[in-house]
Amino acid sequence: MRALRTAASGMAAQQLNVEVISNNIANMNTVGFKRQRAEFQDLLYQNVERMGAQSSAQGTVVPTGIQIGAGVKAGSVYRITEQGTPSQTGNRYDVAIDGRGYFQVNLPSGETAFTRAGNFAVNGEGQLVTDDGYAVNPAITIPQDAVDVSISKSGQVQVITQGSTEPSVVGQLELATFFNEAGLEAVGDNLLMETAASGPATVGTPGAAGFGQILQGYTESSNVDAVSEISALIVAQRAYEMNSKVISTADDMLSVAAQVKS
Amino acid sequence: MENAAYIGLSRQMTLRRELDIVANNIANADTTGFKVEQLLLGTEVGERARNDAVRPGVSFVLDNGVGRDYGQGPLNQTGRPLDFGIEGEGVFFEIETDQGPAYTRDGAFVLDPEGRLVTEAGHRVQGQGGEIVLDPAQGQPAVAADGTISQNGQPVGQLKLVRFDALAALSKGGDGLYRNASNAAAMDATDARVRQGMLESSNVNPILEITNLIEISRAYERITRMIENTNDLSRRAVERLGRAS
Repeated sequence: MRALRTAASGMAAQQLNVEVISNNIANMNTVGFKRQRAEFQDLLYQNVERMGAQSSAQGTVVPTGIQIGAGVKAGSVYRITEQGTPSQTGNRYDVAIDGRGYFQVNLPSGETAFTRAGNFAVNGEGQLVTDDGYAVNPAITIPQDAVDVSISKSGQVQVITQGSTEPSVVGQLELATFFNEAGLEAVGDNLLMETAASGPATVGTPGAAGFGQILQGYTESSNVDAVSEISALIVAQRAYEMNSKVISTADDMLSVAAQVKS
Repeated sequence: MENAAYIGLSRQMTLRRELDIVANNIANADTTGFKVEQLLLGTEVGERARNDAVRPGVSFVLDNGVGRDYGQGPLNQTGRPLDFGIEGEGVFFEIETDQGPAYTRDGAFVLDPEGRLVTEAGHRVQGQGGEIVLDPAQGQPAVAADGTISQNGQPVGQLKLVRFDALAALSKGGDGLYRNASNAAAMDATDARVRQGMLESSNVNPILEITNLIEISRAYERITRMIENTNDLSRRAVERLGRAS
């Protein structure tokens, strides 16, 4: 019976849906997290009777045909790169991006990763690093005698050192943008990697055309909306239940058929 | 006597097929742009199992098509700038695939590495003058109700919306895309509206589908009982007639 497998595909799809929703809810307070959504597609169709087929020698055709679908599959799970709300932290090394772009991070493997999580810190050498200790690219070193650090909207990092009143420039933050941000691959730790689908990174100065601005003392909250996630969860649960009903109905019908004997 | 069993069998077979279709509707209750389907049944007059010239033939049940309800599904807000929902029945986006043009109501599009507007499967979305290329650096694209896409106040393309005279001639490929199986070409749909940041949910009514499910299950039981009774009858007839008098 095809209905059994069709309903099973529906249950599997809803299970994936719940997994995506639960990941969104779990990351509700993750800095720079972008919510994801599962998108479904119908599975292949069996043509029991092809539409447009000849139904007589006189050239009459079957107007509608019989196509029976075989269920549902996950088309894709993609990230919705909507801006998250900047939330004030007061930490001078926290930076949020207002608009498009990603910070570049040098991984220990030598690769470059991209992130929206701007909760940076300074390591033992005074270098600006992520909370995992990976250096931000381009490298920015804060002198040890810095009294105050200010990061402008265009990403310029200035420090005021002990005994001087004039700020001096120690570095410039850069942002990377992509044609297809949804094509970036998430590798955990708030990091994303470039893929063939995302296209190559375009690096530029914050505030330039097509790039976002830098907000110092803020981090970008996740763009997860708790209310819509919970309502999506309810919908997914009900859909799961309905698919299980189909399975039990198909099972009932099979057992009725199996009991026919004379 | 076998007439009843054969008629019952024809109904049982269509009921199973109906169940397959209801199962597919329920499985796709959450699929963007899915349209609910229904088995169309007819009466097929056939010969009797026993040759009897005086009495007319018997009526079997035969499925002669699957009807698709192209009614509007509810539009859900997603907040993604490249999600498009169509307001207007029987209107589709045109997609360019390797096998020629295809049509869909699922407007969850993305940009490919060259900035072209594509579906999630990577098929190019057709605009009025060929493919649509967006430059993300020019800011968020804004889409007007007639499908015109503009960036930074400058129009960069228009989504191609089409409709068909004979919707029944659309065949599904299983990749969420419809293909035109008739000779009639697609026509431009000028009265439809595109809603940006929204996706069309399926138009499956879950309550209706569950009711169908119950009906199918009960009808199957009734028909099975009828077949059992018929078999019982012929068994008893054989027993009684075979008894030595």
